Amino acid sequence: MNALAVIGPALHRLAGELPSTAPQGRNIVAAQIAIGSLFSLHILIAGLVSGAAELGPAIEFLGYMRQRRNYDRLAHGLGRFITLYFSVSSTIAILLVTVLLVGYWGHFWTTIVTIGWWPLFIEAWTFVLQVTLAYIWYYTWDPLRGFKGVHMAIGGLLAIASFLQVYMIDVIASYMLTPTNPQNPIRLVLNPTSYPLTVHRTVGNLAYVGFVIGAFCAIRFLRAKKPEDKVFYDWAGSFGVLWGISLTLLQPVVGYSYAKEIQLHAYGSWYKMMYGTLSPLFLWQITLLGIMFLTATLYFARRLRTNGARGAGLLKAMAVGLVLTILLAAQPYHLGLTYDAVAGAGLNRPFWEGGLINPLGSMIPWKVLALMFYTLIAIAAVVWYLRGLPGVVWGAARRGEQRLLMLLAVLTIFMMVTMGFIRENSRAPFLITGEMTIQGQQNIEPTPTPQSGP
Amino acid sequence: MGRIAAVYDWLDERAAIRSLVRKGLYEAVPVRGAWFYTLGSATLVLILLQLVTGIFLTLVYVPSVTEGWASLNYLKQHDAFGSIVRGIHLWSAYILLFVIGLHMVRTFFSGSYKRPRELNWVTGVGLFILVLVMAITGAFLPWDQAAYWTAVVVTNVPSYTPFIGSFIRALWRGGDFVGPITLTRTFGIHVWLVPAILFPLILAHLALLRKHGEFGSYINYRGAYRRREGVDVPPAPAQRPIEPPYPAVPTDELWAAPLETEDFFPFQTFKDGLVSVVLVIVVFLLAVAIGAPLEPIADPSTTSYTPVPEWFFLPLDELLLLVPQQLIPLVLVLPAGGVLLLLALPFIDRGPERNPFERPAVMVPGAFAVLFVVILTLLGSGRLFNL
Repeated sequence: MNALAVIGPALHRLAGELPSTAPQGRNIVAAQIAIGSLFSLHILIAGLVSGAAELGPAIEFLGYMRQRRNYDRLAHGLGRFITLYFSVSSTIAILLVTVLLVGYWGHFWTTIVTIGWWPLFIEAWTFVLQVTLAYIWYYTWDPLRGFKGVHMAIGGLLAIASFLQVYMIDVIASYMLTPTNPQNPIRLVLNPTSYPLTVHRTVGNLAYVGFVIGAFCAIRFLRAKKPEDKVFYDWAGSFGVLWGISLTLLQPVVGYSYAKEIQLHAYGSWYKMMYGTLSPLFLWQITLLGIMFLTATLYFARRLRTNGARGAGLLKAMAVGLVLTILLAAQPYHLGLTYDAVAGAGLNRPFWEGGLINPLGSMIPWKVLALMFYTLIAIAAVVWYLRGLPGVVWGAARRGEQRLLMLLAVLTIFMMVTMGFIRENSRAPFLITGEMTIQGQQNIEPTPTPQSGP
Repeated sequence: MGRIAAVYDWLDERAAIRSLVRKGLYEAVPVRGAWFYTLGSATLVLILLQLVTGIFLTLVYVPSVTEGWASLNYLKQHDAFGSIVRGIHLWSAYILLFVIGLHMVRTFFSGSYKRPRELNWVTGVGLFILVLVMAITGAFLPWDQAAYWTAVVVTNVPSYTPFIGSFIRALWRGGDFVGPITLTRTFGIHVWLVPAILFPLILAHLALLRKHGEFGSYINYRGAYRRREGVDVPPAPAQRPIEPPYPAVPTDELWAAPLETEDFFPFQTFKDGLVSVVLVIVVFLLAVAIGAPLEPIADPSTTSYTPVPEWFFLPLDELLLLVPQQLIPLVLVLPAGGVLLLLALPFIDRGPERNPFERPAVMVPGAFAVLFVVILTLLGSGRLFNL
């Protein structure tokens, strides 16, 4: 049988069925799912790469200052991670831009590139700079061992390039939420949420990489056979979680300030997050933050207890304090599923008078107080753990502690995905607040096919 | 030369200036990291610059709501030299706040506040607060729009004090509202009350510094070498020559005397002098190039003016914005608690360790406090430039 006799008609039939142009947002749900999930994946990897490119040089510097080889090994490991995963993150980004954004939301992509041309131009070049410096930094580790100052300077430049790259993307992301009149790049860069988003994301990426270091080292610790590897991974896991939790402690203030700017400049989005359809997710986010602090405190307590170091008992008491604070923070304000149900039950009437209001669930003052207690207890936990560290024998950790480290990384990923989901959906149905909707992407008609001659 | 030497001898016979000069110039200071130790002398030079330019400004400025703005506007419009002097006063104040902040951060991280230098730290914290008060009260004096609205916000902050808040606000304002008495009282605080405390405190700070010597940093001491991998601890100070004012006793012998010292003159004085001269030149250039702004005269009835806080007020301004009304006393409690903790620091952190990496119980909260202020400043400044 002639294979071409089968394939030829099949190809003709397929050609007749396939659309002649890109999807152009006709399937809104599919586009949102595809772009949303791939963006989440991209941010999870890119955040890690950026965080590692900023934290790695800092760890190398610390190791040089303290004359500790462990730091150097950890920084070198981060360098290796960047060289391995940079291309994965980039591939996803390129796929997102060239296939999904152009294909599904072509109108939006053309508009945002036109408006944000300068930040995207700088972003592209910092991308080149970042990858160049990352490879130089990693591959000159041994050749430049005698010139540590030069090597650390390369690392410093890498950190700056990574920060700038994230900053430029933040300009675009923040513009989409709080657009200004885009007359020039400065107006674009100085949109109201650009600053808080950049601080929030930079601190977040640095914390995130700390937690992932913790989880990675926990896995390696459990698999390690050599005693020196066990010592290193035990120490590095502890270092990672300390770093992660210390930076996460700044996030309540930075996040609160970011939310305040959204309230002032994109009230609809803020309302949706605090009182609207996204408020249950916001409640989950505050609860999740408390669970992260609790998990870290439990790790600190268990790690000290394993070696009988001082402070484990007090850390357990702090964990109890955190549980109580989480219970306060997790209280919903509305006990009904819909606003209509709450209004029908007397609106502001508390639940003990037959209403559907739980006063303990109000943002002000209770959730703000809960956030403050989270922060204060977690700062105390970090200090107490550090005080007890001289009594810790590295390499002697148990499985329980390592599981907590892995859990922390999982919780962090949940947190990042939740935050991203809230921020992006708070704009809905807009892609650029007040300017362009997701539905608007359907209005673009494909260019007419040229007709054959008369 | 002979006559000069004779005059010098005459003065020395009566005022012992030779020993004073010797005491002042030839004491030992640590060698390594000496550029960091120039921040203290730079602070002193900038405070003296404030004093000199402030004296000149009082020759022109009239502390009244009707004449205050006009007197400064006269400088701006008709007196180029006076305008530069005002510019120097403003820019040296800005740089002073930055430099004194850096000086405090360096002292904190190096553990220089530990025994026997506790009182030096306490007087330093006092000086820092007084410089802040000088800056805040000075911001009221031009009585332009910015000054008026700064006065409205700042004089309201003490009202969050429990029980006596309203009384303190009324005392400062001279009534319920900001007005002529507020300006007069603030002028009195700025030129008399605060300097009367500031300058004796500077003398006490310097005297204590001379008594115990510059601590420097942990890298200058034997203690720094204890935990280093593959590095031997240098010989004990008893086996090395120790110059006055070291050893600073009573203290841990690992931290009593630096391993390497040099004379204050000419080594440290050169570095101090260079940094101070550069700062003064920068101040002068800023004063000439940018000058001191003067907005339109204060108009309490305006509705179109958007107040912009001074940069050093940004952390407090951001706190005022972020803290919900129900928790507003936090705006006062947090800075006040911070100051109390700073004052108590040497009495809380009493261990001998100076290496910042080995003092986590103090360094971590300290680093958080610094980061907290920096982040509030960043967030606040971001809003200033919003378009």
